[in-house]
Amino acid sequence: MLIHIKNMSVSDKFKLALSPENPWITKWKSEGKKLLGYFCSYIPEELMHAVDILPVRVRARKCTDTPMGDAYLSSTTCSFTRCCLEMANRKQLDFLDGIVSCNCCDQIRRLYDNIRYKTPFPYHYIMGVPGYVSDTTIGWFKHEITRFKSNIEKNYNVNITDEKLKKSISIYNKSRQLLKDLYELRKQKSPPINGTDVLNIISAGVSIPREEFNVLLTDQLNEIKNKEGKSDRKSRIMIVGSMLDEPEYLQIIEDLGGLVVTDSLCLGSRYFWDKVDETLSPLDALANRYLSKISCPRMTDGYLKRAEFMMNMIKEFNVDGVIFQRLKFCAIWSAETFMLRNNLKEESIPFLELEREYVLSGTGAMKTRVQTFMEILEAR
Amino acid sequence: MDIEVFNKYKKLGRGNWGKDLAMWKMMYMGFLNERKDEEFTPILELLFNIFLDLPKARKEETPVIMHPFNYGPELFHGMNLAPLMQELFSVGLAPLHLNEPYIDFSNKIGYGDNPTLCNAQRPLIGSFMQGASPIPDLLFFLSTPCNSLAMTYQVFEHLAKIPTFNVDIPYWAYEDQDNEFYDEKIVEYMVTQIKELIIWLEQQTKQKLDFENLQMTMKNVNQSREYILEFNELLKNVPCPMPSLAGFGNFLTMVTRGGTEDAVNATKYLRDEALENTKNGIAGVPDEKIRIAWPYTHVFFDGDLLTWLEETFQAVTIMDILGYYQVLPHDTSTIEKCYESLALGSLDFSMVGTCRGPIEYYIEFLLNYVKDYKIDCVIMPMQFACKHAYSMARVSSEAVREETGIPVLIFGCDPYDSREVTSEAIRGRISDFLTQVVL
Repeated sequence: MLIHIKNMSVSDKFKLALSPENPWITKWKSEGKKLLGYFCSYIPEELMHAVDILPVRVRARKCTDTPMGDAYLSSTTCSFTRCCLEMANRKQLDFLDGIVSCNCCDQIRRLYDNIRYKTPFPYHYIMGVPGYVSDTTIGWFKHEITRFKSNIEKNYNVNITDEKLKKSISIYNKSRQLLKDLYELRKQKSPPINGTDVLNIISAGVSIPREEFNVLLTDQLNEIKNKEGKSDRKSRIMIVGSMLDEPEYLQIIEDLGGLVVTDSLCLGSRYFWDKVDETLSPLDALANRYLSKISCPRMTDGYLKRAEFMMNMIKEFNVDGVIFQRLKFCAIWSAETFMLRNNLKEESIPFLELEREYVLSGTGAMKTRVQTFMEILEAR
Repeated sequence: MDIEVFNKYKKLGRGNWGKDLAMWKMMYMGFLNERKDEEFTPILELLFNIFLDLPKARKEETPVIMHPFNYGPELFHGMNLAPLMQELFSVGLAPLHLNEPYIDFSNKIGYGDNPTLCNAQRPLIGSFMQGASPIPDLLFFLSTPCNSLAMTYQVFEHLAKIPTFNVDIPYWAYEDQDNEFYDEKIVEYMVTQIKELIIWLEQQTKQKLDFENLQMTMKNVNQSREYILEFNELLKNVPCPMPSLAGFGNFLTMVTRGGTEDAVNATKYLRDEALENTKNGIAGVPDEKIRIAWPYTHVFFDGDLLTWLEETFQAVTIMDILGYYQVLPHDTSTIEKCYESLALGSLDFSMVGTCRGPIEYYIEFLLNYVKDYKIDCVIMPMQFACKHAYSMARVSSEAVREETGIPVLIFGCDPYDSREVTSEAIRGRISDFLTQVVL
């Protein structure tokens, strides 16, 4: 544990992990260890963790304008990718020793290309992720994971043994279980934690060493598990959609009387819900888990499973209403929302669709829409 | 065309084609009447056959399989299915401004918007919801070139409840690879998926693959391919022996009728024309002054744009990205070799080959295009919703300028909807570019 933050509350420590002054990263760098930035939850963090490389999910919070992103990626790509390119160009991602990406969506894969050309890092790697799940595609994904593993080994002169990988899988599975325990508490009538704090926790988890995250998360669970829950909220909300790492968005919903009790987000339940099978060989287990997990709609065969997951969540967490949020210009979530909302209509579950920019902006209009939605829920 | 030929095709357009083919029939009759005074060529015959295949398939109870614009349908022809390239609608209806009601209806029902989802596919949802889209028996798509395509096909699958198969086109990078484009592993992966596709087709259609028929179809593709490569080679001549839109005919041929006799005839016809013109020193654009590379799709709603360029600036547009045909010859010696060739064909087909991997694939294509075809300038009319391509344009244009000094114009538009950026605005930008930068 870092000495100067020892006396902070657990939730403040998570918030600190999201700040530009993240002390875990500073310490990691000072020890001469490597950090790799990655873009998507389809990239197995365990492969980096196994050889003491810190995988850090790339974010571009605090990005205010995107002239370079607009010029190189076009102004009709999502603002997350434009902000990332902008931050890289402004050397604000220079603490990273390299970039790892995948073909998770068109915008991310081209962001990777533009980074290589315009703001190169010492190390780049892009991994192919198949578009649907079958024995054939899992086999191919294992091949892709193996290539990534070899590339890390070659580039950093390390050896990712099965033993090291198994240990990393176990540590990450522990996180997954702890996060599930955290979500379990949110099923309560008066949950002891709100959605904003949960998003803080998960976002912090992809920014600090995993062992320390597990310790902090255990502390957090111990602190809140017997705590009296929040009973002043009127409606229980589920958030569904794409990349969301700005807890402030959820804060708006919760300030207006909603309580976010669950989600289907890539930095939410979809990130940790499925564990890696520790009885299989590590590479088989990673290929299986990462391709078969509760999917992002980039997977062309997963809609029914995703819809079922959403509906189960609604029941289990006693959700009153669903808020779909997606980044403007996100093709996959635009189409997915069109389908998912039919499932909600069939069950008469109220929903709201919010299209947003990556960086919090235009909150006035958003607040008005959320407020109206809350009133609709309260009137039911 | 001869009045007897016209009447023959008019007669074939009669009768009840079925409720969901009403728009298709209207397109056919409109197309036929529009071409009434044109010479009847193998290209025209092929285009008529594209339209007539559907009602014929219905009548003969041949399964119709809908597929996207980036897949050569020889396997489907080889299995005696009736392939239907979905984007024929958005491309065919765009110049008539008849996409627009379906785009508006897609907006109204909340199926995306233009910069988010591509209007090459999006009107399908609007037209389906209004009962104006042909309902195929089977649906097939690839994971490449874009998310937008894959998403709209999925939505259509679920709305129309059509049995669907999709093939994963693996991302392929230069980094840490022995071969730039493929190795044994990637071919093996694709072959497995092709075999799974065939099994699925056999189950769905309750018929077995006839190897000899497939072999014959693939040999026809090889023949067409030879003609296309010769044609594309002839376009390198200065002046270019063919007018601007000719190359698109080859693409349309291969993506709709690739593997059929009339595709062989159509590609041969185009090759012969190009060869004859070259021999006789005839230019596709008289007094050719500017040679344009158009490394993206055409602005489909403005059917006269390239003719305007020809007439106003004596500028010939050599070909678009789709006309850049790079498929290797099929090896038809054994069934396994056929599978392998189909696999490679899927990886190399127009816009898959250039877009399934890193930006270098596209840059290499563009630089070769510019150098081989003695290009004077590059025009990139980027589709707002085409994230993967639009995000390559700037870096690619810098590569062109650095390596060749050739000027590049990039602008955004929606090739399927004239209301986003109008024809006048596009022509104005191109005109400024040509007069102020190129000439």
